[in-house]
Amino acid sequence: MNSDQAFLEIRQASKSFGVAKVLDGVDLAVAKGEFVSLLGPSGCGKTTLLRIVAGLLSADRGHVMLDGADISARPPHHRDVGVVFQSYALFPHLTVAENVAFGLHAKGASTSSIQPTVAKFLDLVHMAAFADRSVKALSGGQQQRVAVARALAVGPKLLLLDEPFSALDRKLRETMQIELKRLLRELGTTAVFVTHDQDEALIMSDRIAVMNAGLIEQLDTPDAIYRRPATAFALEFVGLSTRLKGKVLAAEGDGGLVIETAFGIIRANGHYLPGSAVLVGVRPERMAFGVREGANTVHASVRDIVFQGSRIQAHVVSADDEPFLIETGGELPAGLAPGQHVPVSWAMSDTLVYPAGATP
Amino acid sequence: MTGLRLDRMIWLALPAVAYLVIVYALPLLWLLGRSVTGPDGFTLAQFTDFFADPFSWRVMGNTLRIAFWVTLVALVIGYPVAIAMARARGLMQVLLLVAMILPLSIGVVVKAFAWQIVLRRDGVISQGLVASGIWSEPQRLLFTEAGLILGATNVFLPFMILPIYSVVKLIDPRLTEAGATLGASPLYRFRKILLPLTLPGIVSGSAFVFSMSVSMFVIPSLLIGDRFQTLATLTGRSYLLMRNEALGSTTAVILLVIAVSIVVVSTWLSKRIGRSL
Repeated sequence: MNSDQAFLEIRQASKSFGVAKVLDGVDLAVAKGEFVSLLGPSGCGKTTLLRIVAGLLSADRGHVMLDGADISARPPHHRDVGVVFQSYALFPHLTVAENVAFGLHAKGASTSSIQPTVAKFLDLVHMAAFADRSVKALSGGQQQRVAVARALAVGPKLLLLDEPFSALDRKLRETMQIELKRLLRELGTTAVFVTHDQDEALIMSDRIAVMNAGLIEQLDTPDAIYRRPATAFALEFVGLSTRLKGKVLAAEGDGGLVIETAFGIIRANGHYLPGSAVLVGVRPERMAFGVREGANTVHASVRDIVFQGSRIQAHVVSADDEPFLIETGGELPAGLAPGQHVPVSWAMSDTLVYPAGATP
Repeated sequence: MTGLRLDRMIWLALPAVAYLVIVYALPLLWLLGRSVTGPDGFTLAQFTDFFADPFSWRVMGNTLRIAFWVTLVALVIGYPVAIAMARARGLMQVLLLVAMILPLSIGVVVKAFAWQIVLRRDGVISQGLVASGIWSEPQRLLFTEAGLILGATNVFLPFMILPIYSVVKLIDPRLTEAGATLGASPLYRFRKILLPLTLPGIVSGSAFVFSMSVSMFVIPSLLIGDRFQTLATLTGRSYLLMRNEALGSTTAVILLVIAVSIVVVSTWLSKRIGRSL
């Protein structure tokens, strides 16, 4: 995306706390109506970046542009950036409706316009029946809906969400994720979402920014991030994978590589010099039992078979005790049982190669 | 089972209860009795005499006026300190807490004598105000109401700060941030979020300081002297100087009524606020 289309644009955002560098010159552009997730482990700088965009924290360097204006120097109440906090931060002394009306009152909306706006947004999050309740009497999921309605009611240009699902149980979380995504799409809201939960990011996002150590390692669609992780960190952090250290034995002219690993000789696509140390990764669902023509094949023995409902995982070990994982949504070969020796294969194109020395 | 255990546990409070009954409740009852006893038995004459005397009204006015100002000044100074203490982190928070609690270890008499020096015509306040050109010549603050309010506020300030501090500590700092991202200015955030949520702390801090100011004895004795009487100093004088037990017990009972009403009203207020929060 070029910067002409960007609705939110972060340029070279940097922030240090004492000697700890939390953000190291982050660039990010988000289009209007887009839902972008900042995904990374705790301490990667994602929440710091969100707070800088909201104006709750000032960056040491860098700029935040929103809708064509540089908002870097504006205080949070002049930014038109809404936030849904992890703790929801509902005002405990106000009712549900008063919480949603708070921003409208603060912005000096006319009394006659406030009531219908509050009713509309409470209706959108299915909380109309609770308008006059105290927020302290609500469940976690209900509080989250109120927090979303409160943030959206003032019509922010941008909505920031800081791990809003982390306090909810798994089943409720999935329902709320789909509901929130649908609501934001209907309203055409531009949103930046902070999470450490890869499933959440994959489900909700138009694009995901994988963050590590104060930098964005990869910014792409969930599909591309999963299928073609740009870095070893992105491979490890998003989804399951088997990762092996290896050494390039030969590089063929057409970009084919011959790599020596603990699994034996593996063939992959990539551009590395012979002798380079590399990290080889394979997704568990790209592996299958049996031998296939032209594919990488490893002889392994089955250790455990784990039935997970919609899918089955097999934990296997290679001849020299290197454990790895195979996942299938379909059937396992008939009679497969722990202790058996079986060949495992995967396509050359499913073999991901990264320079070694980076995060394993 | 637990009921039985609880019942037995109650006996652990016996020494304290016995102590309070013997040294506190019984003398108090005697005091109450003395205030309604005349030469001919039961009488309310001491109260009617007291309230008929304009001097008594001036004393009550002095008492309540001083207590009001001490409470107000302590609130205005103490509130921001309580917020800062609750929001400070690490070493800064420790320093602030120590700075507030350490002076409590110094006796009231010592503090009052120190204030005598500070409030003198050649004391630091007078000198400072003259040097900065606000006063044209040195003035004495000692033995004035302003001096008494200054000194008393200093002594009672921690009792305003602590209850507010403990309330602010429980307020999620994200609440004011949420207010900001909803478009609320700092003043609006204070009025609509922080102030209503800290009201219980303000009520109990004010009740503490007000009731202590109403009944203070040493501080007015040393900082304003005998020409200015409050209910507490009058009670003291009645017993110690005038040997007038009738007057002393009457003023003591009036002080008691004021103190009890403050406790009752503030408890009712904070319960009310607590419910609506």
